[in-house]
Amino acid sequence: MTPMQRVRATRWAGLAAAYAALVAITLVICFPLMWALSTSLKPKQELSAPPTMIPHAPTLENYRHLLTGKSQYFGGGSADYQPSTAPPQYFLGWFGNSVLVSVGSTIISIVISTLAAYSVTRFRYRYRMAVPYFSLLGYMVPSIILVFPLFIVMTNLGLTDSLWSLTLGYVSTTLPFCMWLLWAFFRGIPVELEEAALIDGASRLRVFWEVVLPSALPGIIAAGIFSMIVSWNDYLFARVFMNTVEHYPLTVGVMLFFEGVHVDWGLMMASAVLMTVPMAVLFMLLQRHLVAGFGAGAVKG
Amino acid sequence: MQKPAHWRSADNRIGLAFIAPFVVAALVFMVYPVLESVRMAFYYIDPLNPDAQRFAGLANFETVLRDPLFWSSMGNAAYWTFTSIVLQTVIGVGLALLLHLPLRGISIFRGLLLFPYIVPTVVIALCWQWMLNPEIGIVNQVLRGAGLIDANIYWLATPDMAMLSTIMLNVWKYTPFVTICVLARLQTVPTELYDAARVDGAGVLRRFTDITLPQLAEVLAVVVVFRTIWTFNKFEEIYLLTRGGPGTSTYNLAIYSFEQSIANLRMGAGAATGVIMMAMLFLGSILYIRLFRFQEDA
Repeated sequence: MTPMQRVRATRWAGLAAAYAALVAITLVICFPLMWALSTSLKPKQELSAPPTMIPHAPTLENYRHLLTGKSQYFGGGSADYQPSTAPPQYFLGWFGNSVLVSVGSTIISIVISTLAAYSVTRFRYRYRMAVPYFSLLGYMVPSIILVFPLFIVMTNLGLTDSLWSLTLGYVSTTLPFCMWLLWAFFRGIPVELEEAALIDGASRLRVFWEVVLPSALPGIIAAGIFSMIVSWNDYLFARVFMNTVEHYPLTVGVMLFFEGVHVDWGLMMASAVLMTVPMAVLFMLLQRHLVAGFGAGAVKG
Repeated sequence: MQKPAHWRSADNRIGLAFIAPFVVAALVFMVYPVLESVRMAFYYIDPLNPDAQRFAGLANFETVLRDPLFWSSMGNAAYWTFTSIVLQTVIGVGLALLLHLPLRGISIFRGLLLFPYIVPTVVIALCWQWMLNPEIGIVNQVLRGAGLIDANIYWLATPDMAMLSTIMLNVWKYTPFVTICVLARLQTVPTELYDAARVDGAGVLRRFTDITLPQLAEVLAVVVVFRTIWTFNKFEEIYLLTRGGPGTSTYNLAIYSFEQSIANLRMGAGAATGVIMMAMLFLGSILYIRLFRFQEDA
């Protein structure tokens, strides 16, 4: 081999190693969900057979159970099941609850933090820097500390077991980091354009609506996605606040599938897949904004 | 930057109106619960009857601090956090270096990294339960098939393995956080530094220790403090996988506090645990604020 060939050979080897590592990482990241998908498409008999990634006889039976609510546990189903405390006929309801509370709390957090971020970065008043500092501290406070005092607040307001308790409760976790992220984002928006518009005689509110909001949109979207993810994924608040099966969001509801005598893995994996789909779709549509959010240093995890 | 005079007087009210909702929400949803949890720590409170409260003095703290389970939960939390953070940092930096390579299609892999972050913890816990199932879970099946084990491993039913399983879940979910922060920093390291070092004959390892690591020191410090605080206080990542079990072998302080409040119906003792956690959090935050300098736009 000439030296040139040797250099080229090591380059190729390096490249191959790098791509091999990347593929391995992709597998580690994707496998749990791929396996859930695969399991959810298998008929019951196949679950205890030697595992294969591609089901031999793929079936949508598990999804049918979840979505049609024709439970296999009650009335006319196969007799080999103990009735679970949470038959799948509630699944769609839980799904709807999750959508309502995560969208609701996200809207509240976003509106409040967008207004506040504008105020803090464009007006001068005393203690305004307390807002970002406070938010930073706020988003380090663990949910386990907030959940019981908030439970008592909700009890006093008569809101326990209602979706409002979750919608409002999630504001306590999503608001601090929306605030922090949008504060960082608004600081980066140049004020010259606004000043020009103001000097031209546009009103402050009009400038906010027509000049500031459009340029802040990427930050608002990023904060919104993070907020959606956090509220959609929450288990603790819902577990403490809600008592009625029909009022559960997905996270708490799906965990009930564990409490039957017989764990139906196919059904569980189907619900795991369906529960991830909305977040995965958001994720794919808005990946760029997500990365922007990470860049602004604001993410709760 | 000086603003025109007419800005200040006329529309300062708008500025105050815009901040008002935040102040109200922050008081109701953040300040009040934290203060309330401190108050609760000094009362006997039954969650089934939250109106009947009796002053307890320091009794809740005494109960908690005398409870061996509190201390073993603290120990578990420390072990869990330390192991998770070390793994996340090492793997996270390694991944960031890999993803920093100028390869074709690398941005697809970078995007994929965020995926574990968006997956609900409930979903991961379910997947883990299924994959780690002793009889028909894929992990044991594969290990058995490869001849690596003779007897099934009870991943979630033996204390050491349960701890390991929760750590794996935690590392899987949160390593990307480290990677993304490090990757963002790597992209700002001036390439001239590397060129100069290469001219001086520094090898790959030398360039890493002499240029990359010092450049990363600051972001790593911030990330480690952040992750330590969050990891120490995690609830769902352990509870959903093991419920703190088998027995109490994977209890951390968050689970301890939860079980005191819910299972033992002693919200006061749960709150006292929370106050102790907050005290530790406060110390951590001071450290954090010292490390992370705010660039005030004064």
